[in-house]
Amino acid sequence: MDVRQAASVKVPHAEFFPPPPAPRGPNVWRRRLHDDRRELTRFWPVVQNMVVQELKVRYQRSILGFVWTLLNPLLMLATQGFVFSHLFRANVEHYPVFLFAGSVPWMFLNASLSDAAMSIIMNEGLIRKIYLPKLIFPMARVLIGLVTLVFSMAAMFLLLWPMGARPSWSMLTLPAAIGLFAVFTMGLSLVVATANTFFRDCGHLISVFLQAWYFLTPIIFPIEAPMFDRVRWMLELNPAYSFIELFHEILWAGRWPRWELWALASVIAVVSLGVGYATFKSQEDKMVFRL
Amino acid sequence: MPRSSRKKTKWFSDSDRAASATLDPGMMPLIELADVSLRFVNYADKQYSLKRAMLDLVLRRESNAPKGEFWALRELSFRVHQGERIGIIGGNGAGKSTLLRLLARIYPPTSGQVAIRGNVAPLIEMGAGFNPELSGTDNIVFNGAMLGFSKQEMLAKAAGIYEFTGLQEFADLPLKYYSSGMYMRLAFAIATEVHPDILLIDEALGVGDAAFIEKAKERLRGLVDRSKVVVIVSHDMESLREFCTRGLWVQHGRLVGDGPINAVIEAYLNATTARISA
Repeated sequence: MDVRQAASVKVPHAEFFPPPPAPRGPNVWRRRLHDDRRELTRFWPVVQNMVVQELKVRYQRSILGFVWTLLNPLLMLATQGFVFSHLFRANVEHYPVFLFAGSVPWMFLNASLSDAAMSIIMNEGLIRKIYLPKLIFPMARVLIGLVTLVFSMAAMFLLLWPMGARPSWSMLTLPAAIGLFAVFTMGLSLVVATANTFFRDCGHLISVFLQAWYFLTPIIFPIEAPMFDRVRWMLELNPAYSFIELFHEILWAGRWPRWELWALASVIAVVSLGVGYATFKSQEDKMVFRL
Repeated sequence: MPRSSRKKTKWFSDSDRAASATLDPGMMPLIELADVSLRFVNYADKQYSLKRAMLDLVLRRESNAPKGEFWALRELSFRVHQGERIGIIGGNGAGKSTLLRLLARIYPPTSGQVAIRGNVAPLIEMGAGFNPELSGTDNIVFNGAMLGFSKQEMLAKAAGIYEFTGLQEFADLPLKYYSSGMYMRLAFAIATEVHPDILLIDEALGVGDAAFIEKAKERLRGLVDRSKVVVIVSHDMESLREFCTRGLWVQHGRLVGDGPINAVIEAYLNATTARISA
């Protein structure tokens, strides 16, 4: 029976679903985390593939692909820069750089959330045909946004050189700021991906909500602006404030951000990811029935 | 089990032990269903909206969104061992495809437990996870990643896949321009080329031409000779008879027949003709 011997060399790992019963409480989540780490390692190439293919489609088809993707944020920056520095007289030094430091990360948040909201529904074809951990769909969308963010940030910083964009030592902390912001975005993405799968009209709400949130975040005007005097505490409660402020400090002011700001951003990022993960995982099994 | 020490994962140790401590892995069933039921909640309006949920909440009326439920599978229990070729038969809507999806982990069971040992390659509704925008070769890599194979491994298998399908000249064409036959051939070739432990096929051979079906059967036979499990859902009794060793007859979500393929098909056909003549 050489067949059996061949099989005994590699004992396949047994997959149980639902997994063997475990005591309720923290153990459930510990096992979920453990399983997810195993699954994400196994399916990491799929995520990679999705990200690479998407970027390829975006950048490779036309030689000008990358320029095109920059054009949209650039034009938006130019319009806003003109409107707010000339018409509304935002008295901010190097105003275009200030605007850039806040709005480019915001575009990442915006794009990630609206893409992630659709990610489960858009991949119905895959989900109904082959088993994939559903976590990878919002994750791929956030990673695509992240790559775009890094590219456009670098390119636009160079373009803003004549407007006063200058490198500084504090930029060494930029990866940490981007990382924290990405964690924060991932958490929110998981929430909207879950919500939109179960309630399809969430998509409309999300775009309206994002628009309102944008104006409640000190991106166009610095939080020090006199117009915010009375509502400053409200702006500081805004969960996105600490991240945007990090980017302002690093990219615009060229200062090392205060440690309180880092602490606040880290706490918010971790809470966001925790809430997002819990929301997503508790509904994950039901998603396929709602497609 | 990448990067995880056994010590840390006590809560998972039961299944670990189950898989590793057996004396004879050849006797371990690759598929084991214990009292598995699956309930579909039939959402009358699939897009149960937030607006309605909110209205229901505010007006304090009973949420009437989930309308009726129906048990697609009820209390299924069976085991499949290495080298078995299973044919699942039954009328339309009996739950055959649902059962296959359950085995592919696409649907989680509502109650009961499913254990799968080994990697699964599903061929469900033509093409198990392709991206129509990508070229043939890119899809081989993409699909391979989902089945657990690296890019290098899949590129090494690409030659074999093209040889079997004869699609070499379309390797760089986006999949959306493939005909349904070509699509299916590619899906079939990938799923069989990776030598899965468990191959699930849902009427996938339906669109192939006669020559291809012959070739496909040949290939499946080769696969089974390496003692893998193949599960086929089909209405084509002749090929099931020719190909399978064991039949599972599903009716209204229940397993009503399980045994040698010929006996199960006989029983199924008798029951069907009896119902028609009655």
